[in-house]
Amino acid sequence: MGNPIPGYHGVLLEVDLSKGKVNQLPVSPEDASKFVGGRGLGIKILWDRLKKPGIDALSPENPLMFLPGPLSGFPIPSVSRTCIVTKSALTSPVKSRYRSASTISYSNVGGFFGPEIKFAGYDGIIVTGKATSPAYLYIDDDKVEVRDARRFWGMRTNDFDIAFTEELGDRKFETCYIGPAGENLVRYAAILHTSARAAGRGGVGCVMGSKNLKAIAVKGTKMPEVAEHKRFVDLLEEVRSSFKDWPGTDRWRRYGTAGAIIDRSDRGIQSVKNFREGTFSEAHKIGGIAAEQNIWVRDLACYCCPLACKKVGVVRGGPYAGVYHDGPEYETGTMMGANLLIGDLSGLMKEIAELDDYGLDQISTGNVIGFLMEAYEKGYIDRKFLDGIDLKWGDVEATLALIEKITHREGLGDLASRGVKALASEIGRDSHEFAIHCKGQELAAHNVHANPPRAFCYATSNRGACHLSGDSLGHLNLLGAITGQTWDFPSYINTGERIFNLEKCFNYREGFRRRDDALPDRFFEEPLTLGPAKGAALKRDEFEKTLDNYYSERGWDPKTTRPSKEKLTSLGLDFAWKEIRRL
Amino acid sequence: MGDSRKPNSLKGETLRTIDLRGVTDFSRRDFLRTAGVGSAGLITFGGWLVKSVSAQERPAYSLIVVDFNKCTGCRTCEAVCSQANEKVKLDGEELLGLGNPRFSNVRVYSFNPPVEIPNRCVMCGDAPCIEACPVPPDPVTGRKALYRDEKTLAIKNDPERCVACGSCAEVCLDKRVGAIILDPVTSKPGGICNLCEGDPACVKYCPFEALTHVSGGLDGRHYALPPEKVAQELISLWYYHQK
Repeated sequence: MGNPIPGYHGVLLEVDLSKGKVNQLPVSPEDASKFVGGRGLGIKILWDRLKKPGIDALSPENPLMFLPGPLSGFPIPSVSRTCIVTKSALTSPVKSRYRSASTISYSNVGGFFGPEIKFAGYDGIIVTGKATSPAYLYIDDDKVEVRDARRFWGMRTNDFDIAFTEELGDRKFETCYIGPAGENLVRYAAILHTSARAAGRGGVGCVMGSKNLKAIAVKGTKMPEVAEHKRFVDLLEEVRSSFKDWPGTDRWRRYGTAGAIIDRSDRGIQSVKNFREGTFSEAHKIGGIAAEQNIWVRDLACYCCPLACKKVGVVRGGPYAGVYHDGPEYETGTMMGANLLIGDLSGLMKEIAELDDYGLDQISTGNVIGFLMEAYEKGYIDRKFLDGIDLKWGDVEATLALIEKITHREGLGDLASRGVKALASEIGRDSHEFAIHCKGQELAAHNVHANPPRAFCYATSNRGACHLSGDSLGHLNLLGAITGQTWDFPSYINTGERIFNLEKCFNYREGFRRRDDALPDRFFEEPLTLGPAKGAALKRDEFEKTLDNYYSERGWDPKTTRPSKEKLTSLGLDFAWKEIRRL
Repeated sequence: MGDSRKPNSLKGETLRTIDLRGVTDFSRRDFLRTAGVGSAGLITFGGWLVKSVSAQERPAYSLIVVDFNKCTGCRTCEAVCSQANEKVKLDGEELLGLGNPRFSNVRVYSFNPPVEIPNRCVMCGDAPCIEACPVPPDPVTGRKALYRDEKTLAIKNDPERCVACGSCAEVCLDKRVGAIILDPVTSKPGGICNLCEGDPACVKYCPFEALTHVSGGLDGRHYALPPEKVAQELISLWYYHQK
């Protein structure tokens, strides 16, 4: 495989499920240097492979890639995440000449899966094609097999997690998998790991389902070399002790992200009642303090992370007694709680557990149900439309019934499985004003009436509405010690810009333009009526002016958002310019 | 690797509820019984121990114990154990390794519902692994291929004399915690905690202070529980609700 750059094995594992063929591909050292990190390498490979726009995300051609970055697998605190990159199953432009146009999708998940890919000797896994019948991928170092998964098809993720461990006969395998939602091609299906960690966004689970791939199991014994061994181990010591001294460590350990539920509500920037409000009067019932008192049993950490922000608990009484699961976190608690006006912590835990069990993205699902609750309240749809479900605000049982319909795409669930954009275009009238999405991907748990920077981030993100702005490579010195390259802040920013621009070119080629960098009317026209940010709304002229400045600053045409030749050339993306210059 | 621990079924129906008072009583009884055994009990254990040690001058056994309430399953212990025990020589300097978990002497097993068990050699005083080693004791040192280090009292293997029969790993898996891992190439035992010369890296670096180096450790029959068993009890304890 040639000489890989340090920190990389120099090998990507490619599995073509149509042919049942396994292949080892070299990682080009140039790509590894210029497109650092899973998201970076992901867009480069996606660009190279999908040479034409308009390829259906659910077609065998669309590669589904699991890409840990160059830091992943090393025992560095808080870098364990794996990026899953593919063409989005969920997004769509306002208009395009291609019927199946969509954006790039990148969704990441913590835990142990990414590090184990590295231990098996690979810098990533690329899955292409479609298996003739349900299959799983077995990877034990160099032993790679596509195996029969027919008896697992249809299983919920928690049962599957237990059954799969028995099938593998060794607890040291790390696994990820889809649930019934992914199998049934719900557009916002997730990929789960440890039956509670999810790569939820952008329909990565839907793409996995379209390939008839139930699961991947991986285990290994290897590790890549580093360029500067002594510097690496010394820096590792420093980073470890810096976490000990950091005041945030205690807070993260105690409440995880759930600590933000009350805080964001108190600041009027939480997603409440389908984003109508920013403050939830019952936030204290579902926040970190209540969960610590009533639900949580213990803390869980991802690979070598000293924060353990993940909390697992059990419902001890009432109709949902016995439900054990992780949560609530900020996103899950807000989207399935505050956004639906659900203040019943036990019911919320049940919902979160069900969504992970079915393999649905909690953020998109919270939007879909919130949207339908609002449409029902306003009389845009009736109970018949909802297949008899009395979908009132705050109703846990009705929410659970709808979750099941979406998972199996039964009745209304079929339409709802395509997201709020599809629902609004079916329901019509002015329902698009409260269909909370950007480019077809639903917004996350941060409301934006009183938070313009966040609004901006949602509007301009390359995967559709995204709450994780920017790319966190972090640990720049460690990256330098591992790869032997010089990393400083300017080169870091430059690399991020290169990655972001190539993603943008991908989207541009598909037909995404300035009109797609838009947010629902609600944020401009319906000011908050409650809480500390009462009266707040986005101002359209300011928003548009900021966009103008943003595109100019980026070196993009403010009218079309097309990146300029100069910008792309300066980033070494001439090859992308050739593709978009006539568009 | 040859690490093919069979996962036990942990489905609901096989679980039972643990009586906390029972657990407390057991610990107390365990303590009393061990304390009462005295030298008479030690005689039964095998020649090497009674030769030199009376009940009063027991060697300073020590082991790593886990507070499962604090363990978050982050596996820092795996990485730092590997770093400390698979060092790298560079320009004449001995440096910590990169932390590949395959070289670790502690292995974290994850269960569903979430319970994390860092599994390691618990230094059974009666050492059934040494008992099982078929290599005859060396006439000078008295050591079998698998032997107890006189200084740290940790179990060690002499690869020169080891016949790679796997008896030690088998008996550990069968009767104790299943800590011994056979090398996939040589089939010789490894993965045995050596207490890092008395300053265990896992204890030092555990971000959650879940690991402690304590003295103790006599008859492993009393405390050397396999991860599956510990997990089952903890699952009952943590996740089972009263209807």
